[in-house]
Amino acid sequence: MLHFPPIPTWEAMHPLIVHFPIALLLLSPLFILIGAALSPSRGQPYRIAGLIILLLGTASLFVAAWTGEAAGELAERGGPVDAVLAAHESLASQTRILFLVLTVILLGMTLLPKALRRQETRLSSTFMPLAFLVLYSVGALFLVNTAHAGGRLVHEFGIHSMVPEESAPAAEDASAAGERDH
Amino acid sequence: MNYAKLGLRRKMKRLVVALALCAFAAGAQAATTTLQNMQTAFNGESNAHARYLAFAQKADSEGYGEVASLFRAAARAEQIHAGNHAEVIKQLGATPQAKIETPDVKSTRENLEAAIKGETYERDTMYPEFLSQAKRDRNTAAVKSLNFAKTAEAEHAKLYSAALTNLDSLKGSKSMTFFVCPKCGFTVRELSFAKCPSCFTPKEKFEKVS
Repeated sequence: MLHFPPIPTWEAMHPLIVHFPIALLLLSPLFILIGAALSPSRGQPYRIAGLIILLLGTASLFVAAWTGEAAGELAERGGPVDAVLAAHESLASQTRILFLVLTVILLGMTLLPKALRRQETRLSSTFMPLAFLVLYSVGALFLVNTAHAGGRLVHEFGIHSMVPEESAPAAEDASAAGERDH
Repeated sequence: MNYAKLGLRRKMKRLVVALALCAFAAGAQAATTTLQNMQTAFNGESNAHARYLAFAQKADSEGYGEVASLFRAAARAEQIHAGNHAEVIKQLGATPQAKIETPDVKSTRENLEAAIKGETYERDTMYPEFLSQAKRDRNTAAVKSLNFAKTAEAEHAKLYSAALTNLDSLKGSKSMTFFVCPKCGFTVRELSFAKCPSCFTPKEKFEKVS
């Protein structure tokens, strides 16, 4: 019988959370790019979608970093793993700051024209988003390097999170079946 | 035929209950073992704290100011480890217990040798075994506390070894500042990093011990 897996501890959340910022933050620029390619009015929904994805991605990046620090405390030190772990942690901190700045910039670019009640022009709908994407590429570079270091920790050095113990489903199921028979 | 089936079902049910009880008993046994390990580690760290403070006094009296500072820094680290272990012991529902023995203080050279031996044993034998048990029990608090201690002990062993190698040149040295992480007890001579390599505590929070 299928049943819910055990609820992960804060430390064990890292491998679950970490895929969200990678996917979301690499998806966001695609929407911004589509928005920039279209006319100001038609491109606006795409740019807003890009902003929402960026907000979600940055939020998940912070959670990934916090859970990562907790998970890192359980990783045994010694040997070449130390340098990779330190690099992963350092890159994650820098990536977090970069995407926080990028989020603030895109928020400003999206909300400021509305607050000032200015009409969208090619400058604000195409050229500024394209310039923003150039800045974004720096963040993306840090992101993929952080992910790469994390991947090395898992797949090269075998550093794993401690997953909570499964309850004994076989015994429970058998017991439940026994109860039903009566 | 039906009676035979019913009897078999009853036997199966008893077997399942017996297996479940065995699993529960095994879990309880494992928890006791981790608790015992944490008590042993707490006792060891508490004694190391007292021993290193006594070694520091001896080093000062023999004119090894820098070695005395190192012993005091390591003593502070051991105190932090003892505190971390004590928290885990309390989480497991017990009271931390340590039997503090009178330190066997000899010459600074012999004290350094004894300290290296103790740290090496903890790094290579005691903590790896305790960590394996805590991982089997999936006790993350115990794993964290033991891991912090193991990493710091490895650093202590390096610092003691360096001091022993250069002991002759350290005669007449003045006290120097060491930096100790308040969370994990990681001990260094210089803060050459932004965050603690063991627990990611910012370097600004490190305690100065001299």
